[in-house]
Amino acid sequence: MRRRWIAPSAVVWIIVAAAFFLIPLVATLLFSLRSIQTNKCCSGDAYSLIIHDHQFWATIRVSFVLSLETIVISLLLFVPTTYWVHLKLPRLRPVLGFMALIPFVVPPIVLVVGLLNLYKGAPDWFYAKPYGFLATAYVILAFPYMYFSLDAGFRSIDLHTLTEASQSLGASWRTTLTRVILPNIRAAALGGSFLTLAIVMGEFTIASLANFKTFPTYIQIVNESQPYQAAALALLSFLIVWAAMLALLFIGRGRPRPAQVAATR
Amino acid sequence: MEDYELQEIEFWRKLEEEGMSRSAMLRRSAAAAAGLTILSGPASAWAASVGQSEADVIPKKLIAAAKKEGQLNVIALPHDWANYGQQISTFKSKYGLSMDEANPNGSSAQENQAIRSLKGDSRAPDVVDVGPSFAGPGADEGLYAPYKVQTWKSIPASMKDSRARWYGDYWGVIGIGYNANLIKPAPKSFKDLLKPAYKNKVALNGNPLTSSSAVSGVFAAALANGGSVNNISPGIDFFRRLKAAGNFIPVDGTPQTVASGQTPIVIDWDYLNLAYRKQFPAVNWRTSVPSDGVYGAHYCQAISAFAPHPNAAKLWMEFLYSDQGQLIWLKGFSHPARFQNLAKRKKIPKALIAALPSSKLYAKVKFATVAQQTAAKAKIAAEWPTI
Amino acid sequence: MGSALRPDARSGRRRVPLAWLALLPFFAYALGFLFIPAADTVIGAFQKQGGGATLDNVRKTLNQPYLDQYWLTIKISLITAGGGCVIGLCIAYAAIREGTPRFIRTTLTTFSGVAANFAGVPLAFAFIATLGTIGIVTGFMRDHLGFDPYQHGFTIFGETGVEITYMYFQIPLMILVIAPAIDGLRAEWREAASNLGASAWQFWRHVGIPVLLPSILGAFILLFGNSFSAYATAYGLAGNSVFLVPITIGFYLSGNVLSDPHFAQALAFGMFVVLAVMMLLYIPLQRRSARWMR
Repeated sequence: MRRRWIAPSAVVWIIVAAAFFLIPLVATLLFSLRSIQTNKCCSGDAYSLIIHDHQFWATIRVSFVLSLETIVISLLLFVPTTYWVHLKLPRLRPVLGFMALIPFVVPPIVLVVGLLNLYKGAPDWFYAKPYGFLATAYVILAFPYMYFSLDAGFRSIDLHTLTEASQSLGASWRTTLTRVILPNIRAAALGGSFLTLAIVMGEFTIASLANFKTFPTYIQIVNESQPYQAAALALLSFLIVWAAMLALLFIGRGRPRPAQVAATR
Repeated sequence: MEDYELQEIEFWRKLEEEGMSRSAMLRRSAAAAAGLTILSGPASAWAASVGQSEADVIPKKLIAAAKKEGQLNVIALPHDWANYGQQISTFKSKYGLSMDEANPNGSSAQENQAIRSLKGDSRAPDVVDVGPSFAGPGADEGLYAPYKVQTWKSIPASMKDSRARWYGDYWGVIGIGYNANLIKPAPKSFKDLLKPAYKNKVALNGNPLTSSSAVSGVFAAALANGGSVNNISPGIDFFRRLKAAGNFIPVDGTPQTVASGQTPIVIDWDYLNLAYRKQFPAVNWRTSVPSDGVYGAHYCQAISAFAPHPNAAKLWMEFLYSDQGQLIWLKGFSHPARFQNLAKRKKIPKALIAALPSSKLYAKVKFATVAQQTAAKAKIAAEWPTI
Repeated sequence: MGSALRPDARSGRRRVPLAWLALLPFFAYALGFLFIPAADTVIGAFQKQGGGATLDNVRKTLNQPYLDQYWLTIKISLITAGGGCVIGLCIAYAAIREGTPRFIRTTLTTFSGVAANFAGVPLAFAFIATLGTIGIVTGFMRDHLGFDPYQHGFTIFGETGVEITYMYFQIPLMILVIAPAIDGLRAEWREAASNLGASAWQFWRHVGIPVLLPSILGAFILLFGNSFSAYATAYGLAGNSVFLVPITIGFYLSGNVLSDPHFAQALAFGMFVVLAVMMLLYIPLQRRSARWMR
């Protein structure tokens, strides 16, 4: 008796979720459609001003590249590590979990001051461009989210059986990792990547203190002085990041159905 | 003699060091408001001599050196704060320099920190505009390079560092801004704000533990309720009563909350409140200087000791303190440091004065010394979380 | 207990040094970019301006009003983490379970990715525009339902308002983290349980929750940490009535009024301690919840 249609309780929850998440966005939308002169509905001025602002596009580009870079570095660093710890050194799991909480405790301003001090003598290509220094800082910020996502993912599959099966068939560690394990934790890795993308597209303190011009610093400038444009920008950035996530999803998924893969234990 | 009078006398004493008497200053402001000149005894000779060197001639060598550097890095200068937008655009077009504007909404602490952290980097700030409680420590720490602009003498002594490491740029007083469409009757004093008609309507510009305009709001409330610049407790108490009455909304009053009508009354700097009227005409924002408590404060300019473009930095200062720069600030509804000098030399267009609230109210202004501010902040830090 | 099933036993002793070596890049990175700035904070908490050690700053954090601020921050974090976990789980399960169209899951997870980081002033403004004194929902309630929440003591500019607003990023965070774990909850188990006559509640109590518990606990800690360190949203919404530790740290570290970096570091050290305690509670719970599965 496989369920064919959506369960009634599921409908209720989905409607509740939709209402809670969409109503504040609608409120922002209504404000953004007010005319700047008359403070009444309806005018697309705020949107038009943002879209024609050269800074908007320039900073989005920087932040996007930065987030892709952060995602790649994070995955390269955290997937093998988490895999290894789950497989060989499970005693280290709480240690890693604890380390993953440290970024929450270090205030961003302390982090950036410490990092700026530490890497002052670093070569220009690392220090002066956002793609060096900022990316490394963002990997740290993404660490908790990546780690706990991957952790949940690794817990939900039978790691040892998969590894042993793969190895008994003659695969190397690398093959095991990339062709057996990774597809199985795809959902978790994607979830972590989504969070990383959102973090980088939203991180303000470090970028502004290190004096880089990223999308969040642009948003902050608009927020403080242009209310209607700020509301329009909030919605535009929401849509843009959402579109980016969908793109990530389709790149990362290929043929969806992680549930089916898990069932082949 | 009351405490606050002692402080006020101190302020006027310092002005007298420059040869101006209290009555002369008041007469000058009233006169400036009416567009008249004034002659007064001992001060006029001094004033005349200042007027001579007031020729506003910026050394050509400096301009050339600055142009060679080609760029100026500034930090924490919002365009709608005391008309910095026009300062920046005028400077750029007048001298052909490009400007890199970092972190427009940065705090004073972040400005000093940027000087420290980005030392040696070409992106480091050349100049800063910080609150006085950050200017002093910054100077002592060696973050600023001393520099005397051409018009140095006409900056009041109480508004500059004796070693020329920082200098006051403009001052304003705390005003009550309100949405005239939604708020009737118009609030004219702190006492008015307690009226039940203003339930859920009054906001500050931030938390006094981090916003200098909010601290000044508490100072002004203190002055209005029997306190002084030495005694800030009545101010804290006022906000406690405002909250108990249900009138105080604890949200940060920003352009967004003003435009949306969510904070129909905002206690903030007069120059910011007055600028809202121009920015959001539909909201019909008006500003009153509270009749029972007029508190003023100034910010400080400084050149970074590690400025990547030191000549451009000096040129920027010369520009800001020239008549043109000072009037741009006045256009932004703030009182520039050289206000008295400009008034005396009849350089202020009547329209600019008319755009400000009555100068009789401004004449009541009280300032606090850095020591008094520090003591008040400690009190606020301890007591504000319990209002 | 369960040591016979420990993975180390299978891989053999000689592999252990190699195992640690594989973690080298990670630890090197963590050392350079995480530990050193973090250590800077911890050490700084015990120093005073101009050098020299002191306990004064830490001692100050143990007095009022900071103790109240710690308690409030912890309280809000517990409530939003707990609420986020429960509601997020329900929503995620509703979207992922059998019978729900595929696009709902895709929409929900991608939306959650964005919403999980929608915070700060834009979020505060969105909720003010919704539930503020002239917000659209408030207006609707006032005009069409005859009920004015502000007359009955509700305000968005207070602790409850902050908690409601925090849910906007806590729930999506939970959805994203728990979704892969729900994938591991096979549909066959639900089927089998209902075939055996179990109600939904019994399924959850005996199968669903126990299987998901380790991941739920991990998500709870993440949500707690996320809320614990958040400050911009609360400041934008209720900067003058809700006083949280991360906000106070900002005041002393990067404000326009106060400046006391060592005290700020002492406050951060206190946050460190709280998270350490949470972690210490989490580890045995985590071990217990996973015990029966291996």
